[in-house]
Amino acid sequence: MLARAHAFTVDGLHARHVMVEVDVRPGLPGFAIVGLADAAVREARERVRAAILNSGFEFPARRITANLAPADLPKAGPGLDLALACALLAATGQIAGEGLQSHALLGELGLDGAVRRGGSTLAVADAARRAGLRGLVVSPPGAHEAGLIEGLHVAAASSLRSAARVLNGGAGDPVPASAALERTGTAEPALEEVRGQHHAVRALVIAAAGAHNVMLSGPPGTGKTMLALRMPSILPPLSTAEAVEVTRIHSLGGARVVGLRSRRPFRAPHHTVTAAGLVGGARGGVLGEAVLAHNGVLFLDEISEFARSAIQALRQPLEEGRIAIARARYAAVYPARFILIAATNPCPCGYAGGERCTCSESELARQRRRLSGPLLERIDLVAHMREPGTAGADAPPLSSSALAREQVAAARERQASRLAREPESLNGHLGPSALARHLLAEPRAEEMVRHAAEAGLLSARGAHRVMRVARTIADLGASERVRTQDVGAALALRPEAALA
Amino acid sequence: MSPGTAPGRPPESGAGACRACIAHSLLLASLGGVLDRCSGDRGRFLDLLALEGEALIAAIGGRRSQELHRQLRDMLSGELPVAADARSLCRHDPRYPAALHEPNAPRMLYLTCGPARLQLLTTAPVVAIAGAGRCSDYGAEVSRSLARGLAAAGVTVAAGLGDRLSRAAHEGVLEAQGASIAVATCGSDRAFSARSRVLLAGVRLRGCVLSELPRDYPSRRWTVQAAHRVLGELAGVLVVVEAQESPRDLALCGVARARGRTVAAVPGRVTSPLSAGSHRLLLDGASLVRGPGDVLELLSAASGSDAGAGCDRAGPGAAGRALPPDRLDRRLRSVLEAVGAGDGTPEEVSRGGVSAGQALLALSELELLGMVVRGAGGRYLPRL
Repeated sequence: MLARAHAFTVDGLHARHVMVEVDVRPGLPGFAIVGLADAAVREARERVRAAILNSGFEFPARRITANLAPADLPKAGPGLDLALACALLAATGQIAGEGLQSHALLGELGLDGAVRRGGSTLAVADAARRAGLRGLVVSPPGAHEAGLIEGLHVAAASSLRSAARVLNGGAGDPVPASAALERTGTAEPALEEVRGQHHAVRALVIAAAGAHNVMLSGPPGTGKTMLALRMPSILPPLSTAEAVEVTRIHSLGGARVVGLRSRRPFRAPHHTVTAAGLVGGARGGVLGEAVLAHNGVLFLDEISEFARSAIQALRQPLEEGRIAIARARYAAVYPARFILIAATNPCPCGYAGGERCTCSESELARQRRRLSGPLLERIDLVAHMREPGTAGADAPPLSSSALAREQVAAARERQASRLAREPESLNGHLGPSALARHLLAEPRAEEMVRHAAEAGLLSARGAHRVMRVARTIADLGASERVRTQDVGAALALRPEAALA
Repeated sequence: MSPGTAPGRPPESGAGACRACIAHSLLLASLGGVLDRCSGDRGRFLDLLALEGEALIAAIGGRRSQELHRQLRDMLSGELPVAADARSLCRHDPRYPAALHEPNAPRMLYLTCGPARLQLLTTAPVVAIAGAGRCSDYGAEVSRSLARGLAAAGVTVAAGLGDRLSRAAHEGVLEAQGASIAVATCGSDRAFSARSRVLLAGVRLRGCVLSELPRDYPSRRWTVQAAHRVLGELAGVLVVVEAQESPRDLALCGVARARGRTVAAVPGRVTSPLSAGSHRLLLDGASLVRGPGDVLELLSAASGSDAGAGCDRAGPGAAGRALPPDRLDRRLRSVLEAVGAGDGTPEEVSRGGVSAGQALLALSELELLGMVVRGAGGRYLPRL
């Protein structure tokens, strides 16, 4: 007899539909699984046999063939266990087959018949809804995650027996009460803890408002990391669509999902990270830091120490907001749109250009060389930080996180309404032509940029970046048009000529 | 066959240098390692350079004396490994710079231009700009503006080539469309670092790179001091922009003083170690330089009333400046004053009661007016 069950295998960020077909007929007893199964799927034979027997069902002493269709799609992970077991039970008539038509199954089986999580539930639930299935049977912890996808009937099954009951039309197991949704917590570092450094704080707010990539440059101990850590607190909370995306990425990365993430991700890979570590490696491997920073902040401290190859790998996400990985037998596309915060010392000793600088000329040249290059072309503004000295320690903070968040949200709203008919909604993502359409600069402001370019202070790209930042500063100042003071501030925040 | 002629005899016009002088420069090149060791003793080293070929070998040849004698004899009689060309001249040449006629002056000069151009450049008053191997943004900016002003006034600026301060000086000269002399510490054909290649091309186009060493000779420890002596003798006035109080940074001044040249220095902050050498020089009687005008005064004082002929004295301090400070509005003037007093970061400017946005705007406006420049680390510096 033949039975079918719907299942999914996770490939990159996406779950792909797999039809599990089980055929049982007389012959030499055996259990074969075909259809490009990886080791974890092949081992399902033993788990399924023990789980069926230990759940009080009967395991047929006949010839069993399981096919995972489509046959050319590689299947990975133990998440297909439950579908295999249920299809086998249906093929031997131990459960009614109707439920299998409308429900997808996801779960790893224990030898005692317990159902475990078995993969990224969120991605599978999303795919099941798109595939037009009515319901999804998952383990109780996974039911929480799947419940975040609307329009899908999610049933929890703690054991193979409960799964059989659900498929026969019964009720699912109760879902355990979970911890409260993760909220923008009290422990989040706040902007009001930063004393002084008003210009750097201001640069950070501008970067947050327009999604500009920003560089913090200054001697050690001036609070570059401290400032970068506070970036998520001034960004607006994730929208629902963004939250689903972020939660999905992080559930794939192995994080336990208890609810939609509302906090923007903040990733700070160490400077020894490899290119594969930043953008992600092979199939089933760990997601790259740039992907995990999607919709959030990627902080690269000591940017000059990063490997050239790692920096190069960031080009695509910075330009396109996504990462396409192509390996020998595997290709995947991940979303990766983040605000980059780079931090660096201006020179090895930290006092570049000043009287206290003790660096030799070759050291300075090496630093300049390391800081120039393709990645830094994507940096829109630079905040130079100085040691605050004794006065700085008592200086009042420029702003609080709540206040800055409000300003950022207001500025983003202005941008969104102006850019309503563009695919992008933030100044930092605008290309030259879109920027020219939406710049709305006063003639004097435009002349100022032209003047700066003629004086050799700006390259063509540099002028474009200054305009982009000036537009955001005007948005922060609730100004319809870009004024001279906006351009003036953007000019003073422009990256070094070597980076332009 | 090279156009070399018998030792001692002046070469025919336009035909480069005499055989003995070329042979001497090649001898120096092959003695590089020994000269490096001797260069530790600065005073004696310069005397060493004054020695003629045989005497030089006798003094420092050591175990290689025999071999070197033979080499020198071969070069004087037979084929020379380096051909003299139209861009080199020896000290027997009438076009050899008059300022260099000292006992220890280089016997050969390898140039990147014809000797006629060097002659032209050295008939104008020559000012050397020098200083520390390591300088601050302030030093580089002062060096550039001094050179710009002097070149605009028709003075020939001479400087080294290896360090940032010298490069800034050449840049300043090029900004004023002027010609400068670069005294190289290696053979003049050997391209310097990638950093100075573009600059070098500019210097070669209008000015001159000169070296006393064969074209492909690398820079060595001793050649740095040898170049110092050329620079110190070539110039009527030596301006030290920024120097630490170390024998290394002040060696050049010793040479210039010994040759009776005027030594001047640009002051810095008394707290800055990079200006300590300049201040020491000022204490010891060097003239104080605030801008190109002061140097022009020194030039005319140094060589009588007719000196500085051909120098255009019209407002050298105002070169490249759009507006004099007193025409600025009060807002910009106060920011300019803050920058001039060393409070050059936006943070420091806004400490004086200007709002953050206004400080950034004012700094950008001043930069566009060419009155301040942004240095490394985001600190603004006044332009002279």
